[in-house]
Amino acid sequence: MEKVKCFIPETLEEALRIRKETGATILAGGSDLMVSNSMGAGITPAFRGDVMIITGLKELKGITETADTVEIGALTTSAEIAGSPIAPELLKDAASRMGAIALRNSATIGGNIANASPKGDMPQPLILMDAEVVLKSLDGERRVLVDDFIIAHKKTELRDDEIITGIVIPKPQFTHIFYRKIGMRRANAISKLTLSAAATVRDGVLADFRASSGAAGPKVARSRKAEEILIGRKLEELSACKEEFLDAWNGVISPHAMPEYRRNTTRRMLAFFIDALAAGHAPGRVDIEE
Amino acid sequence: MYTDVRFTLNGEQKLYRGDPLRRLLDVLREDYGLTGSKEGCGEGECGACSIIKDGELVTSCIIPVGAVNGCELTTIEGIRDTEKGKCIIDAYAEGGAVQCGFCIPGMVMATYVLLSKNADPTEEEIRVGISGNICRCTGYDLIVECIKLAAKKGAALWRK
Amino acid sequence: MSEVSANKLKPATKINDRIVRVDALQKARGEAMYVCDMTLPDMQYAYMVRSTVPRGRIKAIHLPEFPEGYHFISAGDIPANGKNELWMIAKDWRCFADGYVLYVGETIGLVVGPDRGVLKQLKAQIKVDYEEQTPAVTIDDGINCVGGPMFPEKGSNVMCELFCEKGRPMDEVFAEADEVFEETIETPYQEHVHLETNSAIATMEDGKFVFYASAQCPFYIRKSIAGLLDIPYDDIIVRQCTTGGAFGGKEHFPDVLCGALLVAENKIRKPIKMVFDREEDTQFSVKRHPSKCIYKTAVKDGKITGVWGHIYYNCGAYLASSYVVLQRGVFHGNGVYTFDNTYLKGEGIGTNTFPTCAFRGFGAPQTLFAIETHLNHLARHLGVDPLAFKMQYLCKKGDETTTNGHIIEEVKLPEMLEVVTKESDYWRKVREYKPGCGKGIGIALYNHGGAFTGNGEQAIIKAHARLVKTGEKVRIEVGSTEMGQGFKTTLRKICAATLGVNMDQIEYFNPDTAKVVDSGPTAASRSTMIVGRLVERAALEMKERWNEGDFTTEVEYEHPDGYPWDQSTFRGDAYLGYGWGVACVEVEVDKLTNEVKTTGIWSSHEIGRAIDELIVHGQINGGIIQSLGYGAMEKLENKKGYFRQKSMSDYVIPTSMDFPKQFYHIQENPYPWGPYGAKGMGELVFNGASAAYVDAVERALNTKFTAIPIPPEDIEEAIKHVH
Repeated sequence: MEKVKCFIPETLEEALRIRKETGATILAGGSDLMVSNSMGAGITPAFRGDVMIITGLKELKGITETADTVEIGALTTSAEIAGSPIAPELLKDAASRMGAIALRNSATIGGNIANASPKGDMPQPLILMDAEVVLKSLDGERRVLVDDFIIAHKKTELRDDEIITGIVIPKPQFTHIFYRKIGMRRANAISKLTLSAAATVRDGVLADFRASSGAAGPKVARSRKAEEILIGRKLEELSACKEEFLDAWNGVISPHAMPEYRRNTTRRMLAFFIDALAAGHAPGRVDIEE
Repeated sequence: MYTDVRFTLNGEQKLYRGDPLRRLLDVLREDYGLTGSKEGCGEGECGACSIIKDGELVTSCIIPVGAVNGCELTTIEGIRDTEKGKCIIDAYAEGGAVQCGFCIPGMVMATYVLLSKNADPTEEEIRVGISGNICRCTGYDLIVECIKLAAKKGAALWRK
Repeated sequence: MSEVSANKLKPATKINDRIVRVDALQKARGEAMYVCDMTLPDMQYAYMVRSTVPRGRIKAIHLPEFPEGYHFISAGDIPANGKNELWMIAKDWRCFADGYVLYVGETIGLVVGPDRGVLKQLKAQIKVDYEEQTPAVTIDDGINCVGGPMFPEKGSNVMCELFCEKGRPMDEVFAEADEVFEETIETPYQEHVHLETNSAIATMEDGKFVFYASAQCPFYIRKSIAGLLDIPYDDIIVRQCTTGGAFGGKEHFPDVLCGALLVAENKIRKPIKMVFDREEDTQFSVKRHPSKCIYKTAVKDGKITGVWGHIYYNCGAYLASSYVVLQRGVFHGNGVYTFDNTYLKGEGIGTNTFPTCAFRGFGAPQTLFAIETHLNHLARHLGVDPLAFKMQYLCKKGDETTTNGHIIEEVKLPEMLEVVTKESDYWRKVREYKPGCGKGIGIALYNHGGAFTGNGEQAIIKAHARLVKTGEKVRIEVGSTEMGQGFKTTLRKICAATLGVNMDQIEYFNPDTAKVVDSGPTAASRSTMIVGRLVERAALEMKERWNEGDFTTEVEYEHPDGYPWDQSTFRGDAYLGYGWGVACVEVEVDKLTNEVKTTGIWSSHEIGRAIDELIVHGQINGGIIQSLGYGAMEKLENKKGYFRQKSMSDYVIPTSMDFPKQFYHIQENPYPWGPYGAKGMGELVFNGASAAYVDAVERALNTKFTAIPIPPEDIEEAIKHVH
């Protein structure tokens, strides 16, 4: 087998140049690529083409905020996001439930998006929040909604000369949020099903309502059309249109394995959230009281 | 020719000149003879290969050595004769945390990071702190008790 | 002991002393050497080339060109006088598949050479052409001979069978009954997931074949593989290395690695190392037997008058040790209860799946889960509390067992139940948690027969133990192994306490078959009970003669008189002593997601006496969590001959977050033939928590499960069917 080339750029500019010249696969934290290309103990993982390790690029790390947005460098780890005072709650929920603690210290938000797995923890709340990925190349920069960036299972809009440099999240104004991850066990688990839901209640009216389902189809599912069923309704109207919304949402998700469980559980969770809103739940996090 | 990779390993400067895509765990075990870190799963699931990278716990089986350029790495060999390391290891022995032992060096590393960040953790915080380290023998209770013991016995060390 | 030297020595170890495990520091410091940590000069590596179809004829094997120094080893490399068989208990497991394959993952050959990357490439280039046949995968497939019978001469897939009966014929009992309550209960595969994967190194020393192995039973390996080359046992030396967990998975399975390595070593004569990656270990190692237990229970006037059981175990493609596993399953088929009339039949079914083998409990957990769950369902069907219902039938000393033997010891279950129900506040919670309220508490009772069944210790194993005194030091020479269960500590403690010396004066190294006597396999919860007793006896003799200078004492197992066993009819006293257990589990089920949160675990175990309480505490905790994993989350499915779960991310075992801190209690009841009154306990602690967990979830949801595990999606199914 021919040896692949491996680059370790020291600056973003160098990385962009290498990317343009070679199209090398970008290795951010390694937690997905090192496993998917593994050959077993004692053997160098077998990558199919050239690789560029960008783990050390400081320019792509850290979380900052503007008046309207939270911006997260692509190489920011899940642990850093989970511990950040400025990262949105739903994203922190997802980050803090991703894999094992040690993995969260390696896994990056950029890598998690680029991996485009429907079971990936980060894209699900990001899609709900209308977050955008920032894509850079030597030719410039473009921004794409995460929902548009991830096309399908393991497929993205990333061009051969581009690198994900960051994520821009419009600051959420939600009054109510709900997050659940059902893993195969209580910690250190791949998602069996995830759901984020968020609402903005203003003067007794549902000014905004969003939901996104992870691990319930080939990509994270969100439907503005379904959300429209609820948006603009008065709280007291919610119970009347709940079933219509739930049925619509049921059409949005397309779980392959354990479909009944995933469909029913999603329905129960959304119904619970809507019922709580209708009942005038205090602003904040909505969940079953322990 | 490969790019040079420089890092600090257990306090010593290292210059690595091999393939940067090799798994850090293999380099530690085979190039530097540090066999205290174990391979349990090879996919970052079990924590047996846990080491400390720049103060944080990482699983060395899913990190290419090229990703640790400029980093400070510590393995079980780097802490076992330090005061803090001995405090944990002695507590593990005294309190019965060790059975087959294969997960234990990684578990000790997780404990080291946990206590370094939180000198007096609750039962729940301890269980969260070692939740990425899988043990098939103990059912975790005695490991949790030993971590409490290490926190108590080493209170002065961890509060530093 | 001379006074001068005695003054320098540490005080004598007492059996009740709290001591630090002898292997703890070395392991925690990362200094213990497991097989994977060893490197020998000029070391070669080996990987297995495995069948990729579950059943078929091998038409051709196409090999790529092998560079110099690289080898393909297969059945053709077994010398003419050797036999292509591994002698486990049966001899049917072939070292290398030849001509045909019987399951996915069967060893076809080894690739051996110096560079692992090159070997993996060579392995990937080997192409095997098969004429595929339809596999039998499940027990039902096996019963129905899907794909044609595996044993054409018998016209069936039945590998082994037995029955035992007691009391009157069951058809009479059924005819008189008010009703016969029938259920089928199924238990799944379980993977051991010892954190250290299977591994071994073969090398040569002075013309002998030397193995370094992660193994429970070094003498088993020697016996199992010698026939491949038709050489005497003594030409093979097995040295056990620090073993990173085993749970039965390294009882016979190391033979599969070492057998293939022996054939390779015979040809290559360089050190050869084989370490399984986790994916291999998950898919291509032995598993716990899946079971299907059909129970029919006769009820008259609200009382059980008879229990009929038909128990099927999925043995996979080879019998290996499965007959013995099945026997234990059948003998535990009535749980801890005495019923007047019983008939229990067991059948081991062959399928085209990876052979199943020993796993903590060795056949008992399946039937214990089934009978316990069945009786719970029957109790609820009759409208009575399951525990109150079951307590009427608890075994007592002198009761006739299902094998027409007797319960020899006092049964302390009532005292143990007292402790557990009090600590867990069981009766209050049973009253308060209405069925289906989302909260539930469950309880299970169980036992485990210590050591080999019947006269196995006397007739088959004939264990020996030897002590060697040199100055003030005493070396224990037995073949029993430390695999994490604490035996090095336990045995040294027994020896020191008996001799009246300090534990530091006792040496006990990892066994080397050339240096120690065969004390039998480290299995069947027999090590403390049997080998510990042998060491105690050898030490008593040594103590008498302590001042004679340097000498050796050696003893052989002696079976107590008056406890007959007939292995041909399975009648008599199957076990001289049982360990007994009670486990109680409390849960809360999330109404949105069906996720189960365990909120309490309480247990009591009667193990004769704990030699070292801390070690026993650790065994209890670990066994219970492993059992809860079995009942709750460990799903290993085989579809069309292939395991669907392949790694630690899809076959998940409990983390520190999954279950809460346990309450444990140890019930004393000294056993007359064990060291200091101790009985076996390593397997016992696995045998019941899964049933308690299922009981708790059933009550919380007012539903019924007849199969485990019960992850949220299966709970969804169960609720749908019941409501």
